[in-house]
Amino acid sequence: MRDASRSAISIENVQHSYVLRGGKEIIALQNISLDIQAEEFHALLGPSGCGKSTLLYLIGGFIPLQEGSIRTRSGEVTGPGLERGIVFQNFALFPWMTVKQNILYGLRKANFPRKEAEDRAREFIQLVHLTGFEDAFPSQLSGGMQQRAAIARTLAVDPEILLMDEPFGALDAQTRRIMQEELRAIQQRTKKTVVFVTHDVQEAVLLADRITIMSPRPGRISHLIEVGLERQSVEDMLAQPEFTAKSEHIWRLVKDMAESAMRGPA
Amino acid sequence: MTAITEKQNTARNKPRTPWLNTVAGETAIQAGVFVVLLLAWEIATRSGVISPFMLPAPEDVVRRMADDLASGVALADLGRTLWRAVLGFVISAVIGIPLGILMGRFALIKWFFDPLISVGFPMPKIAFLPIFILWFDVFDTSKIIMVVISAIFPIVLAANAGTEQCDKWPVWSARSLGASKAETLWEIIFPLALPQIMTGLQIALPVALITTIVTEMMMGGPGLGGAMMTAGRFADTQGVFAGIVEITIMGLVLMKGFEALRRRLLRWQPQVRE
Ligand SMILES: Nc1ncnc2c1ncn2[C@@H]1O[C@H](COP(=O)(O)OP(=O)(O)OP(=O)(O)O)[C@@H](O)[C@H]1O
Ligand SMILES: [Mg+2]
Repeated sequence: MRDASRSAISIENVQHSYVLRGGKEIIALQNISLDIQAEEFHALLGPSGCGKSTLLYLIGGFIPLQEGSIRTRSGEVTGPGLERGIVFQNFALFPWMTVKQNILYGLRKANFPRKEAEDRAREFIQLVHLTGFEDAFPSQLSGGMQQRAAIARTLAVDPEILLMDEPFGALDAQTRRIMQEELRAIQQRTKKTVVFVTHDVQEAVLLADRITIMSPRPGRISHLIEVGLERQSVEDMLAQPEFTAKSEHIWRLVKDMAESAMRGPA
Repeated sequence: MTAITEKQNTARNKPRTPWLNTVAGETAIQAGVFVVLLLAWEIATRSGVISPFMLPAPEDVVRRMADDLASGVALADLGRTLWRAVLGFVISAVIGIPLGILMGRFALIKWFFDPLISVGFPMPKIAFLPIFILWFDVFDTSKIIMVVISAIFPIVLAANAGTEQCDKWPVWSARSLGASKAETLWEIIFPLALPQIMTGLQIALPVALITTIVTEMMMGGPGLGGAMMTAGRFADTQGVFAGIVEITIMGLVLMKGFEALRRRLLRWQPQVRE
């Protein structure tokens, strides 16, 4: 399965630090090397503050790379690119545009003809179950609905690589489950490479082919785990003893790491 | 009187009465306050407590305004003042908004203009009037420039603050959907900063109006300010008050119109009222 020529994103020796206003430096990422395969569903798992968002922003090309390199099949990452779509952890919708206008913005940038863009927007609004809210402004939607609209906006332009920063964090349990199944179906159908940030162990095991577990202060990769479970419907997966065992195993790793991080030097 | 009390009661029982939140509803309330004040004024002058030479009765002022309107004098002055104020305001916005946005995005531009604004904003711009008269003219140009250098500061500051407070995520989203950096300035950052920009414009609008009147009063000639100074010289208190009322009405109409525009443009904002 691991084959360098199939690598969709290769991250080598990436470090990143933030300088606070007082001049204090925070090392957010240290020594990150990771190969994400084409068509892989890759989860980044770790406690709050371990640099998951930072890593995603670097892959997205939104913040300048300080050290190391990140490459995709389109070459070295030097800035945002159309082949890398992103769903942010925070609300990133354009607040002055309706749901439909938000989705149309990307489609128009991608030069979809007017009619086709309209149809596609409708299709993706339906996909995220927002039919009936096409003309609502983000401020008129709940947090979860806004997040779904943002997901539709990103999916509609069909990027090769999908970067997702806790996309289902604001959703209720049922909607979350529906969206998880939907995302998995889309990924299997469209063969996208997905980098999916979460701190929900079950979600990671349910969705991912491989899971990178990160530890905080400074943000580092502590484990890389092959999930290796058979892809089935979510219900069937949850019922599998292997699924429970895998989740337990990963949960323990994360817990130990979080505990040692709390005990460890500041 | 009973009618008014009843209306107030209904309003109190149903605080979410939609008409209260409309421009029309608000205007009705404000107009009510003015009617009361005008009544007091009318009574004070009619009863002879105050000499009509010092303070003419509202009725006389209104009659005078009607006469001036009929003869076309008022309209010419009003039009001239309005033209100067609005043109100056529009020029301030056209220069001030992009400048404020660019200052918010490019440190170099910020470094260059920040000191100029710190010095320029609190400076009494009217002190430049003699210079402007020498440099430009005694007609429209010097007055409009005076309006621009007075009204532009709140606009630049608001646009700059609005830009600096923009979330990065919408901007990044647009970039990853294919917008260039330059495109995001107009397509994303401008609308994101629009609420603050509109506030800046709402502060700048009366500044533009006041500056127009003051320069007109200092320089004389056509325009409401000049007409009022002339009236004052001839001890024509009715004329002065007619001017004051006309300016006030003009200001009120402009501000109300602008408020309506603001609500229209920002209807996507979360409703803080209600
Ligand atoms: N803009 C910033 N300025 C300064 N420090 C930052 C900035 N962004 C992140 N950090 C710091 O970098 C570290 C990693 O932050 P990051 O947001 O990447 O974590 P995360 O894993 O996404 O956390 P969460 O799960 O809470 O979203 C944190 O310690 C945070 O304080
Ligand atoms: Mg994060």
